[in-house]
Amino acid sequence: MPSVDLLVGATISGLLLGGIYALAALGLTLVFGIMDIVNIAHGHLLMIGGYVAVILAMTVGLSPLIGMVVAMAVLVVVGLVLQELVGYVVGEGIEQPILVLFGVALAIQNSWQYVLDTFLFGSDARTTDLGIVTGNLTLAGVSVSSSRAVTFVVSVALIVATWAFLRYTRTGRSIRATAQNPSAAGYMGIDTDRIYRITMALGAALAGAAGALLSMLFPFDPYVGWSYLLKAFAVVVLGGVGSVLGTLAGGAVIGVSENVGAVLIGGNYRDIVSLTIFLLVLIVRPQGLFGRTEGGD
Amino acid sequence: MSTLPDGLGLDRRATLAVGAVCVVAALLVPSFASGYLEDLVLQALVFAILALSWNLLAGYAGQISLGHAAFFGLGAYVSAWLTTPGAAGFPEWLLTHAVVAIVAGGAAAALVAVVVGPAVFRLDGHYFAIGTLALAAIIQLVLNNARSISGGATGFYVQNEFGEAGVYYLAVVALVATVVVTYYVTRGRLGLGMQAVRDDPGAASSLGVHPFRYKMWAFVLSSFFAGVAGGLYGQYTLYLNAGSTLDVGWTIDTLVIVILGGMGTMLGPLFGTAVFMLIDNLFSQVAGGLATTLEGILIVVFVIFVPNGLYGLLSERAATTPAAEDATDHAPADATPERDPQE
Repeated sequence: MPSVDLLVGATISGLLLGGIYALAALGLTLVFGIMDIVNIAHGHLLMIGGYVAVILAMTVGLSPLIGMVVAMAVLVVVGLVLQELVGYVVGEGIEQPILVLFGVALAIQNSWQYVLDTFLFGSDARTTDLGIVTGNLTLAGVSVSSSRAVTFVVSVALIVATWAFLRYTRTGRSIRATAQNPSAAGYMGIDTDRIYRITMALGAALAGAAGALLSMLFPFDPYVGWSYLLKAFAVVVLGGVGSVLGTLAGGAVIGVSENVGAVLIGGNYRDIVSLTIFLLVLIVRPQGLFGRTEGGD
Repeated sequence: MSTLPDGLGLDRRATLAVGAVCVVAALLVPSFASGYLEDLVLQALVFAILALSWNLLAGYAGQISLGHAAFFGLGAYVSAWLTTPGAAGFPEWLLTHAVVAIVAGGAAAALVAVVVGPAVFRLDGHYFAIGTLALAAIIQLVLNNARSISGGATGFYVQNEFGEAGVYYLAVVALVATVVVTYYVTRGRLGLGMQAVRDDPGAASSLGVHPFRYKMWAFVLSSFFAGVAGGLYGQYTLYLNAGSTLDVGWTIDTLVIVILGGMGTMLGPLFGTAVFMLIDNLFSQVAGGLATTLEGILIVVFVIFVPNGLYGLLSERAATTPAAEDATDHAPADATPERDPQE
């Protein structure tokens, strides 16, 4: 049995990790909640964001925090293109968008790996450095790495900003109206196609931000997309689909259980812990730990 | 009504004849063709079984599973443990003949489906797709970590007394069996129930067709055949690796094949396999490292522009030629098979 100190440390650093997992899930939950599409390529968008930060850090020496802004801009464009593709199959049934996005994810993963191997620095795992503050901070008597703390703060700030945007701006209100009832929103003069484009672009930008921040904590290779998709989806399910602040709770659960699980039963089983929790919650409480039950099946 | 409900303008006898010629040709391959060609045909046989089995679950019962690779990998490992128990640290009395081991691999995959089915079928649509993806990831991680029985990253060397040719002939038999079983299942009561559940679970359920029962049948049968495909693959290549044998790539290739060929049709997956084998080899010649990108783009293009697959394209073409005029009671563009009134 590991010492209490170790467990407390794992819990705190798990909470910090949870903040960034929440950000990674935010775009997914928005697109799912508002457009009723699970973006199977979400993890791959996140991977692109991570690589934007890595490339900027390696070539121009930019801090990943600035890289994050660039990544968000790049991903807005990617998101708009993606929405054009998905627009062809929306409303045709549930499997068409899944399959189209699956195809997109494959193409992104393989072409990026090819580009890396052929023109850039190869597809070995890469990571970035925070650059501004280094070393460890002491938090409640526990020492945590400064990059974890910084990514946590930036993530939570972005999540709160997204929440405020949806809550208080005119566009945010239109987005929520479209999520509730697209036809009724259309009758009220809301251009729902525009709302869908904005939502997909926002979701992609948030994935990009999460990727850039995650590049400071974990190495990136072209294949990380699937595992981040599953992690982000786990957070979405735990927090309740479409709930912005719910992602924070879901992220915390996944972050802490991963870290504590790694301490208790070994680092190799890290992903198994979070995936198992995810599958159990999905099966036992599909509306999420904090979601409300909706009527019907 | 003598036409098969495939709308290709061939009658039942012609279809059977074409099928028989293909089987004979496949059986002659090891005696006359090079080892390279034999490898390719075996790969095609394995893919065809995988595609038919996924199509039963996704195309007929409407359950888009992204975890098919797990059942393929389980079948491969279980059959490998039975023919090579010593290498995995199992007692020697487990040692079985490759044929039995391959069937047992399928049975083990089916058993896992029976156990996890009630859990995953609490999920619907998107949740089911992601849930099965997560399930497959868990199974892969567990096997990857269980080095003593899976060989970990080094891999697992399989031995059997049956020989390469034996496994090859067995694969031909297995494909024929898969075709026959899926044909009768989809034409019969079970398949009609699956399609009813796919098209409208609510309506099916109100007519006394219990969705869960039919989804389970589709899942268990589909997993059995996926496991058999895995067993054949393992016994032929004689090498398994948890990383690659349970890789999501198997799921991806299966999806590409079924979508290319035509989902929810009997011949679609077989067509898809043939075309996939061609383009897969062509792509890797032409595009090299970008082959998977082209496959991804193909999925997107086909789902958007050719939703009924190549099979759908061909049957539309056939419907406009005089040969198919006696098949007027079939909606030409609709590739969904109907029950043959003669049965």
